Amino acid sequence: MKSDEWLGRLGDELAQAWAVAVKDVRVYYLKPPMIMFGLLLPFFLFFSFSVKRDIGAQVGIARLLALTTFFTASSAGPVIIPLERRLGTYDRLLAAPMSLATLLLGKTLVGAFFAILASLVPVLAAFLWLGVAVADAALLVVGLVLASMAFAAFGLIFASIPTRSVGSIMMPSTLIRWPLLFISGIFVPLGEMAPWARMLSYLSPLTYAQDLINHAVLGTGYLSRWLDLSLLLVLLFAFFIPIVKLHQRSRRLGY
Amino acid sequence: MNTAIEVRQLVKYYGDLLAVDHINFEVHQGEVFGFLGPNGAGKTTTQRMLTTLLEPTEGRILINGHDLAYDAYPAKRHMGLVPEEANVYTELSAWDNLTFTARLYRVPGDERRRRTRELLEVFGLWETRDARVEEFSKGMRRRLSIAMGLIHRPALLFLDEPTPGLDAQSARTIRRLVRQLNAEGTTIFLTTHQIEEANQLCDRVAIINHGQIAAIDTPERLKAAFRRAQSVEVALEPNGQARGEALANLPGVTHSLKLGDKWRLYTGDPSGLVSQVVHHAEDQGLRVISLNTLGPSLEDVFLEITGQEIGAARQEKRDPGFRRRDSRGSR
Repeated sequence: MKSDEWLGRLGDELAQAWAVAVKDVRVYYLKPPMIMFGLLLPFFLFFSFSVKRDIGAQVGIARLLALTTFFTASSAGPVIIPLERRLGTYDRLLAAPMSLATLLLGKTLVGAFFAILASLVPVLAAFLWLGVAVADAALLVVGLVLASMAFAAFGLIFASIPTRSVGSIMMPSTLIRWPLLFISGIFVPLGEMAPWARMLSYLSPLTYAQDLINHAVLGTGYLSRWLDLSLLLVLLFAFFIPIVKLHQRSRRLGY
Repeated sequence: MNTAIEVRQLVKYYGDLLAVDHINFEVHQGEVFGFLGPNGAGKTTTQRMLTTLLEPTEGRILINGHDLAYDAYPAKRHMGLVPEEANVYTELSAWDNLTFTARLYRVPGDERRRRTRELLEVFGLWETRDARVEEFSKGMRRRLSIAMGLIHRPALLFLDEPTPGLDAQSARTIRRLVRQLNAEGTTIFLTTHQIEEANQLCDRVAIINHGQIAAIDTPERLKAAFRRAQSVEVALEPNGQARGEALANLPGVTHSLKLGDKWRLYTGDPSGLVSQVVHHAEDQGLRVISLNTLGPSLEDVFLEITGQEIGAARQEKRDPGFRRRDSRGSR
């Protein structure tokens, strides 16, 4: 393929990914599973573990941001893809002249978009009602975008299960996501963990998102902010590459 | 004649279940090709492989010369898909469904708007273009689904069961559209179990049964090959409906079928059977209301090939019809 053809094709694929993302935002933002698993669950979790505990507003906001980013972003793919398989609309996407990676990039973008939208609630609440100051707004924006993309790609791993039922995907997804939540530094800060627990927390991608958000909101974190950023970037690719293979497999198995 | 679809030794297993078994066929450019089979025969699996929705276990598929395993992109640009379910986005309007599909196929902006309007008008959806599709009837959704498959002017259109569940007027509109598209040069791959529809629309048909191509030819040649499926249709009075057993026992009748107030008697010798029926009526003091000889219909051919009982083709049987990997021995 000549370089101008290659660039043209790349432009086409990016435009197609964007079209998929915009369509998904318009179609799915009010779907009950999306509201339940993506928008309400993180808030319920936050209040379950934070009410009547002596944490400051800033710490609470940082926690809530990490929770909403993780749960909302990683719920979009597992809700949307089986729903589209059931309705038959996923066939239309698979048959279109775009690569599977492009389609999954579109699905990653929509997960990230929902997560950023859900994060705006605590951010606005922090600014307007609680008067919380954010230590580094630029870092917060970059961190939220990067973490949302990585977690949306993470959610697409579960969406590769060849099924048309949202419930069949949500079960394994919950089985993996909740332990990751509890071993991360959300409810017990990394600095207060026992060394073995801290080692365990490094297995959770949420740990790096929480630490980065702590840097952005509180102005302090346990790890280096650059390490957090780098690891989230690595995780984005580390999740995205296998999901293409896994979704290719589900195309082989049929759904 | 140029080949639009070339299928070579195509195989699909679902685990140990053999759904498609080393099938071969070609579809020529510009023809309407019918793909018939009972439920579970492997027709939807084949169609899903041809449209890249499902990967084959073995074999090659070439669309306009492009091998789908290595070069799917150019093939997909020129093919349109209208799946069995009216898979439209019910939360969006008809206009938005079409423009989204146009964006997926990279139809440029001006052409996108022009083509969207044109299709909405052709399919009788222009007046309701801004209404959410959830308010549409089944026929309207089906028409929109077909319009979405045509937005990029595909040279090859896959139509999966386009008319079941539609009222007679919508079904007729869709059949007319299929003929019109074909007249304009679009190659059409029609998957259906509506045999009469295939008979009316298709230049050639393939009949798939238990994952294998059982027959492939023009409808008329297939009918000619099944002379034993000729029949005599007779209505007698009085009480002709109760005469089935006596008629079925006439010499030369292979089997019989009650059709309303008539009996259809299948035979290899229709002219001989006509005289037998007339003699029988005279002997029994019956009046012959109507008496017709019929050649085999495509449905008769289909039933002969698939080994189904007469009338079974219209039933929604759920027998998967798949065979297990070990049932064929080692490969």
